[in-house]
Amino acid sequence: MKDIMTGQERIRKAMRREATDRVPWVPFVGVHGGYLLGIAADEYLKNSEAIARGVGKAIELYQPDGIPVVFDLQVEAEALGCKVQWSKDNPPAVISHPLAEGKSPKDLPELDAGSGRIPVCLEATRRLRETYPEHALYGLITGPFTLALHLAGTNIFMQMMEAPNEVNALLEFCHDITCKMAGWYMDAGCDVIAVVDPMTSQIDPASFEQFVFPPVTRLFEMIRNRDRLSSFFVCGYAQQNIPAMCACRPDNISIDENIPLEYVRKVAEKHGISFGGNLKLTSVLSMGTPGEVEIHALETLEEGGDVGFIMAPGCDLVMGTPPENLQAVTRILADPYHREFVKTVRSAKVEEEVPDLTDHWNADKVVIDIITLDSSSCAPCQYMVEAMELAARPYGDKAECNEYSIKTREGLQMMSALGVKNVPVTVMDGEILFVSQIPPARNIEKAIQKKLRDKKLL
Amino acid sequence: MDELLENIATCIEFGKINTGSPFPPDMRGKKGADEYTREALDAGINPHTVLTRGLMVGMDKVGKKFRENKVFVPQVLMSAKAMNTAMEHLMPFFYSGDISAKGTFIIGTVFGDLHDIGKNLVAMMLKGNGWNVIDLGMDVATDTFLKTLEGHPGAVVGLSALLTTTMANMHQIVERIKEKKPQTIVAIGGAPVTQDFCDKIGADIYSPDPQGLLEDLDNKLFAR
Ligand code: B12
Repeated sequence: MKDIMTGQERIRKAMRREATDRVPWVPFVGVHGGYLLGIAADEYLKNSEAIARGVGKAIELYQPDGIPVVFDLQVEAEALGCKVQWSKDNPPAVISHPLAEGKSPKDLPELDAGSGRIPVCLEATRRLRETYPEHALYGLITGPFTLALHLAGTNIFMQMMEAPNEVNALLEFCHDITCKMAGWYMDAGCDVIAVVDPMTSQIDPASFEQFVFPPVTRLFEMIRNRDRLSSFFVCGYAQQNIPAMCACRPDNISIDENIPLEYVRKVAEKHGISFGGNLKLTSVLSMGTPGEVEIHALETLEEGGDVGFIMAPGCDLVMGTPPENLQAVTRILADPYHREFVKTVRSAKVEEEVPDLTDHWNADKVVIDIITLDSSSCAPCQYMVEAMELAARPYGDKAECNEYSIKTREGLQMMSALGVKNVPVTVMDGEILFVSQIPPARNIEKAIQKKLRDKKLL
Repeated sequence: MDELLENIATCIEFGKINTGSPFPPDMRGKKGADEYTREALDAGINPHTVLTRGLMVGMDKVGKKFRENKVFVPQVLMSAKAMNTAMEHLMPFFYSGDISAKGTFIIGTVFGDLHDIGKNLVAMMLKGNGWNVIDLGMDVATDTFLKTLEGHPGAVVGLSALLTTTMANMHQIVERIKEKKPQTIVAIGGAPVTQDFCDKIGADIYSPDPQGLLEDLDNKLFAR
């Protein structure tokens, strides 16, 4: 079951709607990277070394195909003179809008690769590029409309109606900024440029077309000309604008948990682009149990399908998201047997009675129970059963092997009675000993001998 | 008279401010809420009638369209702007007592939270529905709510929060208000807030949108 594609290849193919060996996975790690290191958000986002380490840790833990370097939509605004308010557990927030205080775009500081925290982002990208040459690195830039809102404040909503030419000029200015940022991120080694423009969730399709479509379409064109990939992220309720977002011709759109994935899939299909997102950030990824996350990931996977779908959260991960929950997503994607297991258990009647196992145990032998999917359709299951039988043979009557397939009612009952949560699993005298991996023969033998000795049979 | 009131309502609904305003494009060069309200008052229509059968009808229509995702934030803000312009003409009648407000509503985004777009929409809808609104802005401390309430006994308090983390601050504010002025009606809202949460923290009204808040407030006032 060795992966044949690198993360980069998987993302590239998925974005072109070509076949992949499995659905790719892009956890939107932002300040969660700091959480993994025990560093507060306000320190993490100012330190390229910390970011590289935090993202590196996320790569090791979550085995993603792609990952953002920095998820902070205030970087450009801050470098252009907006005041930001820092927080320990969130990215900073913009709290002043220079263009609402009488300044015009030409009064703002010139943006270069050394402005504000941009060098931190680029340095982190270079470090990660060097360490992880096979993963797709996402460079996230603030979309032109959200940047315009940072610079001008919410008055921009009314100006759109009353002074549309001024707003278009402002978006033109923001477009230049996005092109610069995208260029620097690509130079530093990013494979994908993600344009994140959550504020567009608040406007109607006609306004989107008038103000957002022109600058964003040209930005994606520029990225395409450099043979890199692009994604358009909109966190928030943006259902009304999904077709318009696709029409901007990114390679991928990534959407929030509020939007039905089925709908997005259809629209993306029609435009021939890929799509992703949708995993529930707070209620499941952050507050759910690994078991709940597995079911949610499985359902999302079923809705997304296997053409052009990229598994990802609806927006940047809540800082303290439990790592086990993200690993649960990884498991669903990377382990087809585990996926099948979760599927089978989900569809089974949960109210099955838990059997009484008193008569199952025996003082005169060790009882070896192997819980499998069914050894014909699950190769590792088959190997585990064979390995156990082989190891048990020398002990004759003193060792008994039973296979229980969770595709049968009896198997499901045994599974819940033994407290098993994976397949294949080997349980000896009620103790869960070997999970998923087939242990070396020596380890099995040792385990059997220990059980026999406990019962004074050896 | 009916035609004038209808025109006012239409201008509010579509965000048409005055003759000079370019929005909406298909009403360019035509009169707006500003002119029609002036005309209505000059024609001797009762200011209270202008408010309830003109402005409020228009705001109610946008509120419903917003709830159904037929219009979005920019359109609602334009309606609110048209309404504010019309209100200028009605203000003197509020002061003279010819129109009385439904009551005072103190609103703010709770401390730690800087999201104010939703709160502003709620404030505007309340104004358009005949409330005297005191907007404390965003990142508002518990004491500021309490102090303002001191100066306006019997006012309703509205809290907005958009972050799961600042929802907890909402809890604290409600507790303090209920401790000091138990009879105060407290309404809460914001994207992550739910009816469940409202019940849990002992607030009186939750609504996912301004329209629902107005309906609930009318019901509570009626019950009094
Ligand atoms: C705009 C926005 C911002 C703007 C805010 C600008 C402004 N002046 O308000 C900026 C860029 C500053 C911002 C910053 C942040 N944001 Co923000 N933001 C949003 C966004 C895109 C839209 C929110 C909005 O305005 N909606 C439109 C209005 C009309 O809806 P509403 O506020 O829900 O209000 C309606 C109802 O809820 C109700 N209502 C509201 N208040 C009240 C009150 C009462 C009494 C009643 C009855 C009803 C009511 O009526 C309103 C009209 O229908 C959302 C995502 C989304 N699409 O929801 C994220 C979002 C809310 N932000 C989020 C985050 C994490 C942040 C930041 C922490 C991180 C960051 N830097 O991005 C900072 C936090 C700053 C802070 N300390 O508050 C998260 C919150 C996650 C969570 N649940 O905790 C969201 C959900 C995005 C996401 N990650 O998915 N944000």
